[in-house]
This record gives sequence, structure tokens and C-alpha cells, in this order.
Amino acid sequence: MRWMTRHVRPEQIRELSLVLLIVMAVLFFGSQIEGYYSARTFNRISTGAAILAVVAVGQTLVVLTRNIDLSVGSIVGFTAYFVGTQIARNNEMTPLLAVLMAIGLGAAMGLINGLLVSYGKVPAIIVTLGTLAIYRTILVDYSGAKTVTTDSLPAWLVNLSSANLFKIGQIEIRVVVAIAVAIVILFQLVLAYLRFGRRLYAIGSNPEAARIAGLPAQRTVLIAYILCGALAGLGGFLFLARFGTITVVAAQGMELEVVAAVVVGGVNIFGGLGTVVGALLGTILINTLEQSLVRWLAISEFWRDAVLGMLILLAVATDAVIINRLRRLWVRSELQPRAESEPMQEQPQRV
Amino acid sequence: MRRISKRFDATQALDDVSLALYPGEIHALLGENGAGKSTLIKIMTGIHQPDQGEILLDGQPLRVGSTAEAQARGIAAIYQEPMIFPDLNVAENIFISHRQNGPLLRWGKLYRDAEDILARLGVRLDVRMPARGLTLAAQQTVEIAKAISLQVRVLIMDEPTASLSAHEVAQLFKLVKTLRQEGVAILFISHRMEEVFEIADRVTVFRDGRLVSTAPRAEVTPERAIRDMVGRTVEDFFARGAAERGELLLSVRGLGRANAFANVSFDVYHGEVLGFAGLIGARRTDVGLALFGVEPADTGEVVLDGQPVHIRSPEHALKLGIAYVTEDRRQLGLTMPMSIAANISLPMLREYLTRLGLVRRGHEAAAAERYRQRLAIRAPSVQLEAGKLSGGNQQKVMLSKWLNARPRLLILDEPTRGIDVGAKAEVHHIIGELAAQGLGIILISSDLPEVLAMSDRVLVMREGRQMGIFSRAEATQETIMTAAMGQAPGDGGWGLGAGEHPNPYPPSPSRQQEHL
Repeated sequence: MRWMTRHVRPEQIRELSLVLLIVMAVLFFGSQIEGYYSARTFNRISTGAAILAVVAVGQTLVVLTRNIDLSVGSIVGFTAYFVGTQIARNNEMTPLLAVLMAIGLGAAMGLINGLLVSYGKVPAIIVTLGTLAIYRTILVDYSGAKTVTTDSLPAWLVNLSSANLFKIGQIEIRVVVAIAVAIVILFQLVLAYLRFGRRLYAIGSNPEAARIAGLPAQRTVLIAYILCGALAGLGGFLFLARFGTITVVAAQGMELEVVAAVVVGGVNIFGGLGTVVGALLGTILINTLEQSLVRWLAISEFWRDAVLGMLILLAVATDAVIINRLRRLWVRSELQPRAESEPMQEQPQRV
Repeated sequence: MRRISKRFDATQALDDVSLALYPGEIHALLGENGAGKSTLIKIMTGIHQPDQGEILLDGQPLRVGSTAEAQARGIAAIYQEPMIFPDLNVAENIFISHRQNGPLLRWGKLYRDAEDILARLGVRLDVRMPARGLTLAAQQTVEIAKAISLQVRVLIMDEPTASLSAHEVAQLFKLVKTLRQEGVAILFISHRMEEVFEIADRVTVFRDGRLVSTAPRAEVTPERAIRDMVGRTVEDFFARGAAERGELLLSVRGLGRANAFANVSFDVYHGEVLGFAGLIGARRTDVGLALFGVEPADTGEVVLDGQPVHIRSPEHALKLGIAYVTEDRRQLGLTMPMSIAANISLPMLREYLTRLGLVRRGHEAAAAERYRQRLAIRAPSVQLEAGKLSGGNQQKVMLSKWLNARPRLLILDEPTRGIDVGAKAEVHHIIGELAAQGLGIILISSDLPEVLAMSDRVLVMREGRQMGIFSRAEATQETIMTAAMGQAPGDGGWGLGAGEHPNPYPPSPSRQQEHL
């Protein structure tokens, strides 16, 4: 027990339990669905999760600061559509330019969110609920109800989603998945090793103390929103590559999936706690459930949202009960060995 | 600091104050609630800007525009409630405000540096442990370590001992003395007289935003410090004539609530005003909240007009005829966007409903109108939004709201805080009238002259304990302030060391911030 509390944090237990849940879900569906253990299942789930994961990483940065970005679905849809029409018009556009355009567009929309939240001091949920509707409306207006179609896109883009980095037997590691993994690793490092990352935790952990400690809270929150927007923009590009056919309702409702992934992944909705890896695990779990439930019960798309909603509630409830209990256990075990081993010492200053 | 002044709306918080701090000196700052101590701290740390005057550091004028700037110049503050980040570990908390190390974190160096600082302080604390779950004392140690890491030159400590146990206070003082040796100038604020006299090199007293006295400790006696702190004249107040004391209304014996107060016993008679005096943290409001059932007491007996009662909730208290007028008008007192009439009818709304459950607005307005005239609420109409009124008139609306519940016992918590002199006199007049009509009144107030002028008897509390009840003849500013600061009257010695003075209410874990 003592060894465990010194080397493992309660949050890591939570991440471990997510891995366990994913394994259990896979085993369950494997026993229920014929031919579930196939490369096709893996490829489908991994590609779906990849796009969601990229957006969830951005959302994690924002949620850590005790804020939220509900407009990510609209940003993904907007960038997917906008970049799609630009490429359709100019098939000669280089891939790099297309990606940069998507990221830049997303960052600009994130900038608007961030300015309103951090400098305008409007509650995040109000701001991003507003921009959720506004970005989508601008998209509808811009599109003139037209659709981006696969055949108008250049071949490299259409092939991107099925392009493989490498293959292990039938299992393909696709480029899209590799991008998502790279993003997750990059931002996990940012959160752990950059001053900026630690400030995100500090601000969400105790906003008042952050102010008194002289941290540049407003700027930090603004940057979090810009990054969230940029990653949603990248997500939009991947969305375009995967589906090819983009209508004005593209990625509508994605914010629910993203917030669910982040919360299920153990990022505390009140900020200060959570990791990008956790968000990735949350994404994988949600995507596995979504894709498998559809095949198992042949349940409709509409039920999917209800399942997501229940998962969010469940995750928040376990956060409230289990994590707090674990923490108390940790604190208690910190106390006991000291008291026993050094009874004559000056009072150690700890609980 | 030279000639600092600061105004907030109608209050002159600081008036032409000059204060000098020297390296290697512990400078104690004393003053009643609202004497301007907090404002001074906020100006020094860049949270507020002075209207007039300047701050000099090493003889150079200094403009402190923000907390970050203050820190860069070596000025840091530690508050009663430590400002830590529960989700970060100890080492991170210590170095959170650092900028010079570049954007990349080196965890190894961070832990080593944190351990070095804690070792310098002679404290053993696991730097990898999350700050959540540390005791308040350990959190405070982290804050001190943080200040040291910033190479602090001026350290402000605002009631750092308020929630510490005696042993922890002794530990803290050891740290403070270490800092003094290192040449840090320390401004130490405390309500505990014995601590001030134990640790301070120099003692300064504030009163009503002015500096009254400053002198080396050797030249100050506790008696003189208390005299300087109070020193206001009672004459300006509405003096209530001694009232006829009626029947026994309320009898409280051994009332207590865990982690708040214990063993509070008193009687209130019909027609009597019982004053509750004490400093911030005396837990007077908690007694009021217990009697009104907001935070029910868990020990003790309450007898109301001969009936033993167990007050469970505000609703229950109202039924029993107990009303509580809160000190926090804005948050808890009035619903600001609603009309005066709607505010007044709120607790007794049932009486204004038709059989279908609709509010009879005419009735409501008529009742409100009666109070408007009786208490001289200055508003063109009772339909005006409560938020549009001045503080004094809001206070009268709050009084009306609870009088409308026809209480036997009225608990008033800081009824004149933040309202102007004229309105204050009117509120005093109303209190006098209500008592004359036979209401029992508990008057919780930090305004000592007010308590003395209005009360028939005065109960003094300190840190959750009852220090005594003084009759009108016994109660003077000196006797009450002496009791409120934790000294038995007439006991000249201040020999109680921190070690002999256990805090009966160590902070409970539940006070720490928990995520839901």
C-alpha cells in the first residue's frame, strides 16, 4: 500500500481502470458480435477515434483551466467545408498549405472564443454556446446549401484516410492515427514539461490563487482557446480527408462526443486535473462503444447520443465519489508510516 | 510608505498613512475590523492603487501595478487562507510564480531546489506530494517557502495564525524568526495580542484608516495598544435609555457546533438588546446562524418562552418567531432585481397567496407600504427594484422583510455595516423602538461604540468561545476589547505563550476545497 501510494497517483489508477474498461468492452462485444476480432473493426475504430482524439486534446487544454469550448463541432465543420471548397476550386494546392489553412482558420475561431472568455470575462459556456451557433450559421450562409463532394477533391486527400504508415499483418496503422498519436504525445509533453502547461493546471486548480500569485491567467486561457481552435481546425482537415463529402451539418453534435471523451478520460470538469493520455483513452472507449453498439443491437444513431450522455454522467459521478475516496486513502497512508517510524522527531509538518 | 490615502465610495479606508519597514524587523500591525489594515496590504501588493501617496523601496519610489510587479520587487503576502493550488505538488506550488527559469520545466532541479528551500526552513515535507490534503499549517509553510524562493524582501503576513493550533503557531514563529535573521522586513497582522507581543519588534496601531501610534515593543503595553485601537467616543451615537426588561424570552445553554463554537450560554429577555461583540473569527455569526437553523447547533439547549426547542431549519425558526437579518445584504439578504414589496413578502409569501397559489400583489404592496412609512424607507414606490436603493435603505427593507414575519426574537448581524451616518442613526432608532415593543434583540456588531450604545448587556466571543457577559455598567470599550483579544479583565500579565493556548477548533478537512 505504501509503495503504491508513493509511486502511483489516484489519477493514474483512473487511467488504468479506463484501459481495463476498454479491454472489457472489446471482450464483451467480441463474444456477442460475429467476426468482431478483425482488422476491419480495428481500422474503423482507430480511424474514428483519431479525429475525435485530436479535437479532444484541444478540449482538454481548455477544460483544465476550468473553462469549456462547446464550439468545437462547428469549428470542425466549418474548416472541413471551407478547406474542402478551396481545394475543390484549386486542386493544385499543396497538402501543407491545406493543413495550415485548416489550422489557421480554427485558431482564428479559437481566438474569438478566447478573447471573449478571458478578456471579455463572459462565462465560457455562454460564449462558446453562442459561437457554436454563430460559426455554424456562417457556414450555412457561406455554403449556399451546396455540398463538397469527394470527386471534386484531389486524389492525395481522398486517399489520405486509407493511407497506411505501416501494416502488421491485417492491422493497418493509418497516417491519420499516427497524426493523432503524435499530437497526443506532443501535448502530453507540453502539459508535463512546459511552464505554460503547468499554468493551465494552476489556473484551473485555484483561479483566485493564480491571480494572487501573479500568473498571466488571461493570456494563458487565451492561448488554450487558440490551441483548442487550431486542433479543431486540424480535426476539420482530417474530417474532410475521411469523409470527402461535406455538407453544412458536418460534425454537428461533435462537441458532445468531445466533452464526453474528455470527461470520461478523467479530466475534471472543474479544472486542474487530468491528462491528454486520459482524454485519448476516453476517446477510444467512447468510439469503441459507439461503433460496437451500432453493430450489436443495430441501434439507431439517435440512441448513440443517449449512451454518450449516460457515460458523461457516470464519469462525473465516479469522479465525485471514487477519486475523492482514493485521494483520502492516499493522504492517510502518507500520514501513518511517518508517525510510526519517527515518533521522537520534531513534528513533521504533514497531514 | 508615505502619506497613503485610499477611498472606497463613502468610506475613507486609509487616510494619510505613513509606515516604515526595516530589514530584519518584525513589524506588527494592530487595529479593529475595518481599521484599514487590509487596504494597506492590497496597496502594497498591487491589488489596489493608492489615491494619494507613494511607496518607497530602498529610498526609490515604487509603482506597484500588479501582484506580479510586487513579486518582482520582492514584496509578497501570505493570507489567513493560504492561496495554494491543490492539484499541483508542493514543489510546483513553491515555484509557480517563477519566470526566470525559462519555459521548460526541469523536474529534477525543481524538486531539488524545493527541498533546499524547505531544508533551509528546517521543515520536512514531501515535495512530490500534491498540495491537496496538506494541513493549513503545512500549506502556510509552502507559502513561506514560495516567498523565500522569490527572494522576498518585504513579507506581509495577514493573520497567518488564525486557523493554526498552538503547536503550529510555534513552528510558524520559528520560521518567521529565521526570515528576520535573513534580513526580511516582515509586516505581521494578528488579532492575538499575546502573539504580537511575543514576536514583534515594533507595534503600529491603526484606527479608522489612520495611524494612531507606532513604537518599539518595549515601549508599548497591551493596555495602551488596546486604548489606541478603540479610542472612539460613544457620544455620537443614539443612546438608548435603559429599557424595562420583560419576561425571559430565550435561554441558551451550552450551545455548540463542531468546528465553529462551543459552550455558549446566555439569556435574552423581552425588550432587551443583547450585544454580541468580538473580532473577525470570533464566530458570532455562527451562533446567529445556529439559532436561525441555517447551520443547526449540535450540542446545547435552547428554551424559547419556556418551551424547549430544537431549531432544525430557517423555516422552523421562522415558525418559532425567530428572524435573522444577515450581514451580507448583497449575497444573502435581498434579491436585488426584485421589487421592495416582493422582497418584503418573501419569507411569509404564503400569507399573500390566493387559493390558486397566485400572489396577491395588492396585499403585498399594501404591507410593504406600511413598512415604507414606518421605517422611512426612501423610495418613490415599493415597486422599485431593491438593488437601486442605497445601502441604508436596503438595510431597512431587510429589516421590514423580517419584521413582517412578526418575530419574537430578532437577530441582527452587522445591521449598520457600510451605511452612512444618517441611515445608521435611523437604524439605531428602529432597534430601540422594536425593543421597546417587547422584541428580544441579539445585536451582532463589530462596531464597538454601537454595541455599547445599543445594548443592555454585551456578550463577548473570541475564536468560538464565550469570554463573558458584561452588564451596561461593566461594559466599556477597554473591557470588551480586552476580552475579545483573549485576556481576562484585570489580569495585567500577557504571559500566555502560544504553546499554552490551544486552538479548540483545528481546521477540519472538509474546509479544504473539494472537487465535486
